Amino acid sequence: MKVRVTNIQRFSLQDGPGIRTTVFLKGCSICCPWCANPENIKYETQGQFGYDIELDELEKEILKDEKFYKLGGGVTFSGGEPLLQFDRLEPLLQGLNQQNINICIETALFVPTSLLEIALKYVDEFIVDIKILDNTEARKVLNADIELYYKNIQKLFQQKHNITFRIPVTKEYTLQEHNKTKILELLEKYKPKQVEIFKLHRLAKNKYETLKKEMAEFQEVTDDEMENFLKEIKNVKINARICKI
Amino acid sequence: MNKIIELIKKIINKSDKLSNFTVIVYKYNRKYRNMPKTLLFALKGIFKFYMPSTKLSKGMQIRKLLEKLKVKGNNDKFVYYIDPLKMLNIKNFAIENTTIDYEIGLEKSLEDMQKENEKMKDGEYKENQKQLLLGIAELIEKEKKVAPNEDVAKNIENIKSKKAEGFQEALQRILFYNQIVWQTGHHLNGLGRLDKILDKYYKKDIKENKITKEDARSLINEFMKLLHENFWFKSNALLGDTGQVIILGGKEPNGEYFCNDLTYMFIEEIEKLQLPDPKVLLRVAKNMPRELMETSVKCIKTGIGCPLFSNDEVVIPQLINFGYDEKDTYNYVTAACWEPLITGKSFDQNNMKTIVFLKPFTEMLNKENLEEIHNQEQLMEKYKTYLEKYINEFFAELDGRKFETDPVMSLFIPHCNKVGIDVTEGGAIYNNYGATSVSLANTVNAIININKFVFQEKKYTLSELNELRKNNFENNENIQLKDQGIRYGKDDDNVLEITNTITKWVDEILKDKTNRMGGKLKFGLSAPSYIDESKDFEASLDGRKKGDAFIVHISSDITSNPYTELIQFASKIDYSGNRFNGNVIDFMVTPSFMENNFEKFTDFLILSIDIGFFQMQMNVVSSETLIKAKEHPEEFPNLIVRVWGFSAYFNDLPEEYKNVLIERALKNEGKSY
Repeated sequence: MKVRVTNIQRFSLQDGPGIRTTVFLKGCSICCPWCANPENIKYETQGQFGYDIELDELEKEILKDEKFYKLGGGVTFSGGEPLLQFDRLEPLLQGLNQQNINICIETALFVPTSLLEIALKYVDEFIVDIKILDNTEARKVLNADIELYYKNIQKLFQQKHNITFRIPVTKEYTLQEHNKTKILELLEKYKPKQVEIFKLHRLAKNKYETLKKEMAEFQEVTDDEMENFLKEIKNVKINARICKI
Repeated sequence: MNKIIELIKKIINKSDKLSNFTVIVYKYNRKYRNMPKTLLFALKGIFKFYMPSTKLSKGMQIRKLLEKLKVKGNNDKFVYYIDPLKMLNIKNFAIENTTIDYEIGLEKSLEDMQKENEKMKDGEYKENQKQLLLGIAELIEKEKKVAPNEDVAKNIENIKSKKAEGFQEALQRILFYNQIVWQTGHHLNGLGRLDKILDKYYKKDIKENKITKEDARSLINEFMKLLHENFWFKSNALLGDTGQVIILGGKEPNGEYFCNDLTYMFIEEIEKLQLPDPKVLLRVAKNMPRELMETSVKCIKTGIGCPLFSNDEVVIPQLINFGYDEKDTYNYVTAACWEPLITGKSFDQNNMKTIVFLKPFTEMLNKENLEEIHNQEQLMEKYKTYLEKYINEFFAELDGRKFETDPVMSLFIPHCNKVGIDVTEGGAIYNNYGATSVSLANTVNAIININKFVFQEKKYTLSELNELRKNNFENNENIQLKDQGIRYGKDDDNVLEITNTITKWVDEILKDKTNRMGGKLKFGLSAPSYIDESKDFEASLDGRKKGDAFIVHISSDITSNPYTELIQFASKIDYSGNRFNGNVIDFMVTPSFMENNFEKFTDFLILSIDIGFFQMQMNVVSSETLIKAKEHPEEFPNLIVRVWGFSAYFNDLPEEYKNVLIERALKNEGKSY
């Protein structure tokens, strides 16, 4: 069995607890205009981006740093939308579970619930994005079905507790009043372990150029605006921090 | 620098005095780079310059030298003074790169030493020691007079007839003997396990309320500042290369980890001082306190590049395996850099010369009929014959070296006094030679490339590839010898096998060789000369062009090679036999990367101890490096930078991010872009 990846990054310190190996799976179910990994949107390989790897090869790569996972680390599946390949990934997840390798995913949750159910069996840590919660806007901007998202969130929180929400902060979307209200409602309802908010960055510029894609421009969010948003989140009694990605 | 000094000596070798004086002036100018200032120094200095006649016995020369010193008091806690214009005329090799056993100076008074001397059988050794001790007595009198107050004067007076008792007194005594070591022509002088040595003096003074913890801290600070003075004089090959290393922490024979208040204080004060020297080496072990590792990371991330870590879990077993007495191994220090050393018992000259692994390899390529080499096995066999010849000659040259009789070093090796034989004549218990090495990585990578391009893919014949090399790869930049993913620094079975096979050969060649004093030659895989040795060196088949630097210590030239990969690679290198003479992993980290991932970076280091690296140092990056990296990205493939809050490879960043980083770094250093 093979999965399609763009990169396997060892010594990742930003994608979950401890020292981790992050596997970037190719292909996404939505299309965020601020995407920082544009090479992972399409499932099809694009020039230098993307290759198929056998599960046992991937396992070998992940286990290379096993000795460094001892203090809370492990493997993180990121993307793209990692859940899209989780059916094919299941035998590996099973194996990793048996070897007590901590598994984390970074997901936007816009996937069929059956895929999430696979993750629920094996994944220890969930990092879930909150992007745009307004139905029409999500459809228009992300090409995403927000009902599916809500359904999956509910399912996830019924069974798991190690859940971190991550919010990309934009003036155009996240900070719009109607969206922000929905975000705060969601947080209040589910009380996740923690929330990380971060500013957009333009580090993917070279990748956009290689892909011959235009990188969208966004208004600058100031530090004050970040702090204010952080306060609002903390006001609903959620543990939150600004993540300097 | 050494070459320049040699050259100066050659040009003016008619007069030892003039040539030695010129070296001093050269060193002075190297630091201050100010001709009028240097000229003034030279004009004043020439009249003060003094070298005792070599017609006198060595002991008498030292006595005369110590008598001639004009010491000055310049501090209110200690007397420590080095006069760069008074020196011995040293014509042979001098003992260097070592650490005397300061405990001897603390535990014995001058009178004790003199009594021992009286009991020795008559002869040159005894006479040399006797004169040295008389010189020391003279120096004590002089220093007493310049002492800033009665307490300091008493500390100096006590050297004559008492053991050291107090903490400040112990520090003073270390400084006293340290200045003698420097003054008598020894380069690269370490300080030893100061937290361990000073433990009882510190505890006693604290217990008796003679000092507070804060007093001790400020004394340590002052002590290190004094050691840093005359930096220009103490520096050897490069400015900063003084060898003043302080060894801290360490595993005990019972398995416990030793550290104390002083361990922390030395690291914290070094961090505060932000001086490039003295430097700290921390002996680490699995059961060391996490807090101590955190203190170290905090210090390293300021960019001063220390502590360097030496992993007792790996180092000590190899010292035992080599044949040092087990008791001694737990007390190891390092020669002035990182080569393990048993202080107080050793002649061991750990840094005599550098093995250049590429030399015999290149010689083979230049001399052999390459058409007759058809596979990796044959290639390796051929290399082995050239390496063998090279190592044999290497050893013979070392064993032909004549050393200058050394009463000062012998004084601090009880065994020399016991047998009445100078340290340079075999008076010590351990009498080994030590070599460093460079370009093993380049050689391993060349072998891998030949195997791939010639034997497997058959893209070139070995002769064709060698012709490209001889032409410095001109107009053939696209053969991508440097871009192979499997190289030195990869945790790959083949890479490790080639690496360990080559070092095993050297180990076997050296196994049966004994030097004139019965010692061995040990070697290690790190050396500071990766630039000096490579300057005129022809291109190599790892893709390195003529004159380019060799790969640094144990590091990798692979783009984006993860730290975890390098650690695991280094942990699988075989350090047994003679192969333990300093093996340092070297990698670059940015201060902000460490800052923003402080906890996880500490985790990483702690886990790495268990995985089994030998030694490790980190290179915290400067604007200068960033600018060079921007201009020559191919030379800096592993440079990680922190942008805002996350890390990226510098080469991967868009130009404007690079510019911002450079500008910020320059601003931070007070320079302009």
